[in-house]
Amino acid sequence: MTPFTSILESLSRQRGVRASLVVSENDGLVVDSRLRFGQDGDRVAALAASMYRKARLSARAARLGAVAFLQLDAERGRVCAVGGRSDLVIVVVADPAANVGLIRVELFKALESLE
Amino acid sequence: MADDIRRWSDELARDPSSLVFLQLGEALRRQGQLDIALKIALRGLERHPRHVEAHDLVARIAVDRLDFARAREEWETVLRLVPDHVGAMKGLGYVYFQQGRFDDAEAYLNQAAAGGAGSDVSNALQMVRRSSGIAPPWVVDQAPAPDLQRLFADLLLDDGQTALLLDGSGYVLGGLYLDSMGNDVSQDIGAQLSGISDEVERSMRHLDIGSWRSIIFETHAAVVAMAPTADDSLVVVAASRSTPLGLLRRLLDRCAARAAGWLEGGKRA
Repeated sequence: MTPFTSILESLSRQRGVRASLVVSENDGLVVDSRLRFGQDGDRVAALAASMYRKARLSARAARLGAVAFLQLDAERGRVCAVGGRSDLVIVVVADPAANVGLIRVELFKALESLE
Repeated sequence: MADDIRRWSDELARDPSSLVFLQLGEALRRQGQLDIALKIALRGLERHPRHVEAHDLVARIAVDRLDFARAREEWETVLRLVPDHVGAMKGLGYVYFQQGRFDDAEAYLNQAAAGGAGSDVSNALQMVRRSSGIAPPWVVDQAPAPDLQRLFADLLLDDGQTALLLDGSGYVLGGLYLDSMGNDVSQDIGAQLSGISDEVERSMRHLDIGSWRSIIFETHAAVVAMAPTADDSLVVVAASRSTPLGLLRRLLDRCAARAAGWLEGGKRA
C-alpha cells in the first residue's frame, strides 16, 4: 500500500484502461503502478515521462505555458498524462476505444489528490 | 536526450577541439535552446573554420532564430567548400523563398533535386512555383493557388484559432501563428513544437501501440493538437484554452486533410 494505491486503482477501474502509473518526470522511473498482465511498466513509464517532458519543454519554449494534460492517440492505443507542480506525472495507457473524456476527468481528480 | 547532452557537454569540456560540438549544438537546437546552441556552434566553428557541417549547423540555428542573412552566409560558405552539398542547396532555397526571391529559391531547389534530395524538395519546388506564379502544368487546372499563410484560414472558426503545416525539419510550409500581440511567430512555434513529434516517433517504436495519429496537449495558455501528414510533415492546430478538445480534434482532422491534399499536388481538400 502506497499513498498512490487508491488513485491508481480508481484509474484502472475505468473501461479500457490497460495501465496506470505514477512516474517521476525527471528520471522516468515508476513510483507506483497498476498494470495488466504482460505490460512492461518500466518501459511505459520511461517513454511516457520522456514524451511529457518534451511536450512541457517545447510548449514552454514556444511560450504556451505549462503543459497540464497530454493525450497521444495511436493505432492500437492511447496514452494520457497529467502533471502538476511536482515532478510526478500520472500516466494512463488505454485501448483506442476507451472514453478519454472520462479518463481525463479522473486524471485531473487524481492529480488534485496528489497535490 | 538529456543524458546525451550532458555526456557531450562533458566531452567538449574535456576536449574543446572535439567534433562533438556538432551533436551537442544540434541537440540544443532541437530543444529550442537556440542561444546556447549558437554559442556552442560558433565556438566549434572557431576551432574548425573549414568544417562544412559546422557551417551547416550555424546556418540551421540561424534559420531557427529567423536570422536569414546569417543562414545564407553560412550555406554559401558550405557550397564554396563542397559545391554539391544538398543540405546547403535546400537551405538556400528556403532562405531565398523567405526573402521573396523565388527565382533564386527555385534555382537552388532544382539543384538540390538534381543532387538527389528527397520528396520534401519536390513539394518545396511546387510551393515556390505557386508563390512565384510559375505553376507547374499539373497545377494549372486547379483552383487558384492559395496564399500559403491562409492555407487553413477558411477552416478556422475564430481569431483565437491558428494552424500551421511544418515540414519534417520543423520549417513552416503553410499557415500562420500569431501571438497575442499579433506578431507572426510561426517559425519559432514550428521549430519548438516539431521536436515533440520526434520524441513521439521514438516512443512509438517501443510502446507497441502502432503508429501515432495525433497528440493533444493543454497548456495554461492554449490547447494544441498535432498530427503527422504526408511527406513527414506535421499539422499543428492551436486554440484558446476554452476550446473544447473534441472541437479541436475535428479542426485538426480537417486541417490535416487540407494539408494532405495540398501536399499531394496543390489540391484543396
